[in-house]
Formats: sequence, C-alpha cells, structure tokens
Amino acid sequence: MQQFVIMADGTCDLQEKFQKEYDIRVIPGHIVLPDKSDIPGPLTWDRFSRDEFYADLKKNPNGYSTAPANVEEFKNAMAEIVKDGTPLLVMTISGGISGTYGFACTAADLVKQTYPDANIRCIDSLRFGPGFGLMAVCASKLRDEGKTMDEVAEWLEANKNRFHQAGWLDDLSFVAKKGRLTNAKAFFGTLAGIKPIGEFDYNGLTTVIGKAKGAKAAYAALLEYIEATGEDLSEQIVFIAQTNRLPQAEKFRELISERFHPKAIYINDVFPSCGINIGPGLMAAYYIGKPISGDLSEERAIIEKALNNAK
Amino acid sequence: MAVKRINGTELEQMLRNGLANLRAEEDEINRLNVFPVPDGDTGTNMVKTLEHGLEQAESSAEVNAFVRSLASGMLLGARGNSGVILSQFFSGFAQGLSRAVLIGPGELRNALVRGYRVAYSAVQKPVEGTILSVAREGIEHIRGQITRNSSIDFILSAYVAEMHKTLILTPEMLPVLKDAGVVDSGATGFIRIFEGMVKYLRGEILEDAAPKAASEQTPAADLSLFNENSLFIDGYCTEFILQLMNGPSYDQDFRLKSFIGALDRLGDSLVCVQDGKRVKVHIHTKAPAFVIEQAQRYGEFLTFKLENMQVQHNERDRIVKPRAHKALSVVAVVNGAGMKTLFENLGADCVIDGTATMNTSSQEFVSTFESLDADRIVVLPNNKNVILAAEQAAKLVSDRNVTVLPSKSFVEGYYAIAMDIPDEKDLERRIASMRAGIENVVTLSETTASRDYAYHEIRCRKGEEIAFLSGELVCVNSDFKDAILGALSMVEDADDRETGIVLRGKGVSIDDEDALREAVAERYPMLELEFVDAGQEIYHWVIGII
Repeated sequence: MQQFVIMADGTCDLQEKFQKEYDIRVIPGHIVLPDKSDIPGPLTWDRFSRDEFYADLKKNPNGYSTAPANVEEFKNAMAEIVKDGTPLLVMTISGGISGTYGFACTAADLVKQTYPDANIRCIDSLRFGPGFGLMAVCASKLRDEGKTMDEVAEWLEANKNRFHQAGWLDDLSFVAKKGRLTNAKAFFGTLAGIKPIGEFDYNGLTTVIGKAKGAKAAYAALLEYIEATGEDLSEQIVFIAQTNRLPQAEKFRELISERFHPKAIYINDVFPSCGINIGPGLMAAYYIGKPISGDLSEERAIIEKALNNAK
Repeated sequence: MAVKRINGTELEQMLRNGLANLRAEEDEINRLNVFPVPDGDTGTNMVKTLEHGLEQAESSAEVNAFVRSLASGMLLGARGNSGVILSQFFSGFAQGLSRAVLIGPGELRNALVRGYRVAYSAVQKPVEGTILSVAREGIEHIRGQITRNSSIDFILSAYVAEMHKTLILTPEMLPVLKDAGVVDSGATGFIRIFEGMVKYLRGEILEDAAPKAASEQTPAADLSLFNENSLFIDGYCTEFILQLMNGPSYDQDFRLKSFIGALDRLGDSLVCVQDGKRVKVHIHTKAPAFVIEQAQRYGEFLTFKLENMQVQHNERDRIVKPRAHKALSVVAVVNGAGMKTLFENLGADCVIDGTATMNTSSQEFVSTFESLDADRIVVLPNNKNVILAAEQAAKLVSDRNVTVLPSKSFVEGYYAIAMDIPDEKDLERRIASMRAGIENVVTLSETTASRDYAYHEIRCRKGEEIAFLSGELVCVNSDFKDAILGALSMVEDADDRETGIVLRGKGVSIDDEDALREAVAERYPMLELEFVDAGQEIYHWVIGII
C-alpha cells in the first residue's frame, strides 16, 4: 500500500521531537516581530526563550502579528511531495479563526494543474495549537495502523468534533482583540484570579463556557469535566498546552495522570504563531471524547455542575 | 393652640418646617457615625429624600392629593438606607390618608401606624434600634390615648416625646451603636422632621437653611468656550418637566415608549421618567425645536432648561445611554475613575459614580434603568448603604426585569462582574455565576482615622491607620501595611486563599503600592494580588481576597 504524507501548518505547535516521531511535515506560517522583520513561525525556542517572548508580548501586544503560509508557499511545498505520486493529506488550523484552509485548497488546485494525478486532501481541523497537533498525531497513528489516506481523512472529518479543550485562558485580552473568541467584547478587563474555562465550539472558536474562582476550583472542575466528556482516556495521548503557565500545566499533568492514567501525557508549548493570538494565559488539556454539542449546551451544563461541586 | 384638623397646605408647611429643622442638624446627624471614617451621610440622605419629595409634590389643600405626590417624589428621590426607609414611611403615611381631604386625630393615628408598617415591610431584615423602632414605638405607645378630641399638636408632641424615649434606648437594641457610643442617626433625623412639624404648629417657623450641597449648584458656564468660530458639536443639554394636559388640543394617547422612540432620533443621552401625568425629560440635542414640538403635542412645560454643552461644566450628566439592545445589562455603582474603567472593561453597561459617600438615589437608578435597552438588568450596588435604594428603584420600574445582587463592597461587585459569562445565552445561568462571584470574597479596607475612637478593645487616635474586615474595624497601627496585614491575619483561611484584587485609592502613591505588594508577598508568598489604580475616595485600599 502506498504511504502518504501528512502535512500540518505551523500552528499545530508540534515541536521537532513530535514531528519526527509521528512523521509529520510542518509548513510554517509567518510572524512579524516588533522590528518588522518577517520570519517563519518557529517551533523551537532558539531565537528567544519562552519567558522572554511572552513577557515582551504582554508588554507589546500590538508589536507582533501572524500570517499563514501564502498560496505560493503551500503550492511549492505540496508540489515537492506530490510530484513523484505520493498522496498528501494537508491539515490546517481552524477556518473559524484563520484563512489558512482556503490558501491550502487554492494551492492544491494549482498543484493539480501541473500534476493532474496529484492526490491531495485538505482538512480544516477546526482546532488550533496543541489541539490541532493532537489531531495530526492521531492521523499519523491511523496511518501506522495501515489506513489509507482517504480512510484517515474520513475519520478526521467524522471525529474532529470530538477533540476537546479543557482548560483556562486567564488573559482574554489577546483572543478578544484578534477576534478569536466568540462574543469577545466584554473580555478586556483584569480578571484577578478568575479562570475562564474555554472549550471549542462547533466552528472551531474558543468559547467561554464557565468561570472558576481561583485555580483550585478550576482544576477540580476541569477534572470533572474531562471525566464527563472524555472517552477511553487510558488509551489516549493527552496534550497539555501552555503559553506561559508552566507550573500550572505541570500541576494539571500530575492531576490528570493520577486520575485518568492516559497512555502518555505531554506538556506542549504554544509557539509564537499561535501564542501571538492567544497571549500568555493559556493552560489546557486536549483529548478525544464525546462529540461537542452544537450550541455547547451540554458542555455548559457539565461545567456548571462541576463548578458547583468545586465550590 | 389646639389644632383639631389640618389640610394639605398646612401639612406641606409643616413638612417644610420639618425639613428645615432636619437640615439645621444635617452635619451633626452625619457625624453620628459608627466608625471613625468620614463617610457618614445619613443626615444628607434624609434631607435630599424629603427635599426631593417636597419639590415634586403638588401643592393642594386636599391632603390626599398632596401627600400622594409627596410620597411618589420621595420614593424616587430616596438615597441611602435611611432615605429609603423614610420614603417608605411616607408611602405608608400617604396610603393611610388616601381618602382623607383633611387630617383629624383618627386619620393621623392611622397614617402614622400605616407609615411604620409599610416601612417595616419594605426592609427584608428589619433591624431594631433604627428609624423603624422609633416610628413604631412612637405611635404604639400613644395610640390608646388618642381620642376624637385629641388635637393634632397634642398627638404629634406625644409622638415626638415617645420617639425620644426610644431613641435613647437604640444603643441597647443595636450593640454596634452602644460600642460606638452614639444613638442611631436615621432615628435622630426622623425625629427632627416631626419636631419641626410640631414647631410649626406652635408658631415657630424656621427660616429655611439654604441648601448647601455644592454638587447640586450648577457651576457658572464659561462663555469664552464658544464663539462665532466655534464648531457646534455637542448640542444642547435640554431638560424639562412636561405636564400632560387634558383637552382637545392635546393628544390624549401619551405612551412613554413611543415618546422615547420619537425623541431618541433627535439626540442622545436620553432619559425619560413618567410619574402620573408628568414626564421628566433629559436629552442632548442639536435641534431642541423638534424636541419641543414633540413634547407640546401632549402638554405644556412646567420647567425648561437649555444649555449649550460646550460652555456647560456640570457633571450632572453622569448617566450615558448605551445604544444597543442587550439581553442582559449590568449597572454598577463605583467610586473613582480607575474603578469606572475597570467595571466598564468587564462589560458593565452603566457605571454610576456613587461619590465618596456612596448615596446613589432611587431616582438615579430609575433613570439608569429607563435608559437601558435590555431584557434583564443586573445591579451591583457595591455598598450596603446602596442596596436598599437599588431594590426600591427595581420595584418602581415594575415593567422592567431588574435583579439586585447584594454586593456589599467594590471587590464583591468586581468578582460578580468578573464571573459574568457573556457567551452564555441562559440569563439565569449568567446571573447565578455572578452571584457565585460575590460569595466567599473577603473584603478588607484601610484608611486613616478621622477622629479618636474606642470600640471594645480597639482604640485609635485620629491620624492612625485603621483596617476593616467585612466592614468591622479590626486593626489599628501606625503603619498602613501592618494594619492591613493585621486584618489579613484574622482571616481564618488566609493561608489557603490564592488570589485577590487590590483597589488603590485616590491620592495613594505607587510607592505605597510597591511597599504593600512586598509586605504581603513576604507574609503570604502564595497569595497573588492584582493591583488596580481605582481612585476611590475615603478608603486608601479596598482589597478582595478569594
């Protein structure tokens, strides 16, 4: 059976180790730094450290911006793979928050003009950051099981709505400013100790479904939420994303390990391509579970109950 | 002189004398404050409440007509808890006289009884040792002695005398008064009103002390700000009271909603409040002629004021109308520019500056509610002395769905609005989340003592630093940081608390903030505090710990 290549855009936040382990090609987007230099979105901290980057971002949120790889870049990267007949599965960040998926589709059409037999499938992950990365890892594992590209693509389309985010985003000013949050208007204020709990909605936007007063209550409610929404957690790889909340992420990892014993659990940094739009306050676990309800009503009810129990 | 009956005009004269008598002791009543903090305003609040009632009242020889309009004016103008209770008393008083053209002994007795009963029922948890106690015992102790032949002056004199007896006992009923060595301020003010009424009957007419609240006087306009080359941008601040008229030349089908709709297109900051056949209107417009035309379809002006806003410098326009329709709007009472921004950034639609003494009137709340286009309104009074006025206002606008969340401090209000989930469509769930925000917040506040003071084992000298825990004075120190740390050490689970917000007051330096941050971090290394330059008056620091 002919193997296929999985390509994900740089917002999947898979660092080199995971790229190699799961054989995932990453096509980086662009980030523009305060000095106006335009560099490929890094998935390492070689150029600046995590703490430096997020500290500076906090001070100068408007100094940084991001852009997806353009059509030309997508086209070249795709052509390189399909020219010898290898099928290509392209996964992109949520179309709810970025135009990357459209670029990839346009590029795929252009590539097919040159290579009419090229087999390219583009998938809108409806996720970002490590949530998207986890989906790419799942695709890779299915490929290892011997599934064809079309089978994997069908699985992704059918199951992408089962990728959950359970965590908090305690500095909402970034997502609000960049329009990456539903109903962002009312979210600019200081939130001393309040932890807004975010989940993905059906369109791939983060939605605040509840708020916890303090980290302790948030951890307790989140564990209950994972319990209620997750499926076969002991068989899963769980990613924990953190922008600049490492101690909290470590604590969360410990709590999740103790309670759910997943196959593996990794803390995954959020690199600048996503970080610029999220800000320093993200700390969330990503896992597969029950399908997310259309209006998030079921998830809101679960978190409300969990928050009440956590009081 | 034995007066057997009084009419509405006489009652009005008596009440004006009562107001003058109250006003003469306004400052003294303000100083009857439990804590050594200069935020006592009971006297002022009662003056403003009665004053507003008399301003709005229709003079009439018929008692019921006069007293009904007086009571509705007082309900709207009520400020502070004492003002609300006073207005409720007069609301009951008016109910007791609803069929009376003249007041005789029986009518007076019934009205005084009805007055205190309505006042009691208006308060969720009536506290003895307050206006309620003196008003109740004042009449209950003498009602058996009132006969058909009792004169009005006899009844009122006896009423005042009985109330004095109860007043002296208020410290026994309310320990907090005893500890502070004062009698209840609201009860004192209440008695002053009736004393003034008795004085009138004895021919002792008081010269009306001039109103002295500076904030109410319109500062002079600076006419140099507008000349022939100016761009006319801001329009006119237009205010009037419209008397809706009977008669064929006036449209008899006045509907507030459509009237608001018609005016809304002509300007902004529109506030319309209807009280029976009168409508109070405030609008900023460049075209006052059209506003006048609209108004005169229904009636004539009782008062009218028009000011070019580019030369006008008063701060009365504290209420700005948000335009968009919302499922849920939040109204918060704050103090200080930084705090206003803080609440606005968290999504408050209307932020009222309660000023230093936090005495927002029911009228201000009503106007605010009227200005909001929302299915549901949530009010955060943020002070225990504002909750009642907000609740009264909520009852006055029965067609609006208003929920008053009883936030007793700025930081409780902060955590309430910070817990709002604007994404949530289920409004009950949003309100529940905000309510949860108030729970279990420890409120600490700190300031400098304005006078010497003794309270149980707590003593302080004027100028010392004093810290409060949930409104109780708990710690005195020469250093503000130690006062705060002392109060913090009394919080049972202080070491388990994770985080909090610190509101820095007006005139407090950033250096002090750094010093406080360090001092707290040293003692409570796990406690993360977020500092906000809030700018509140009276208290240098207000701290909420969760």
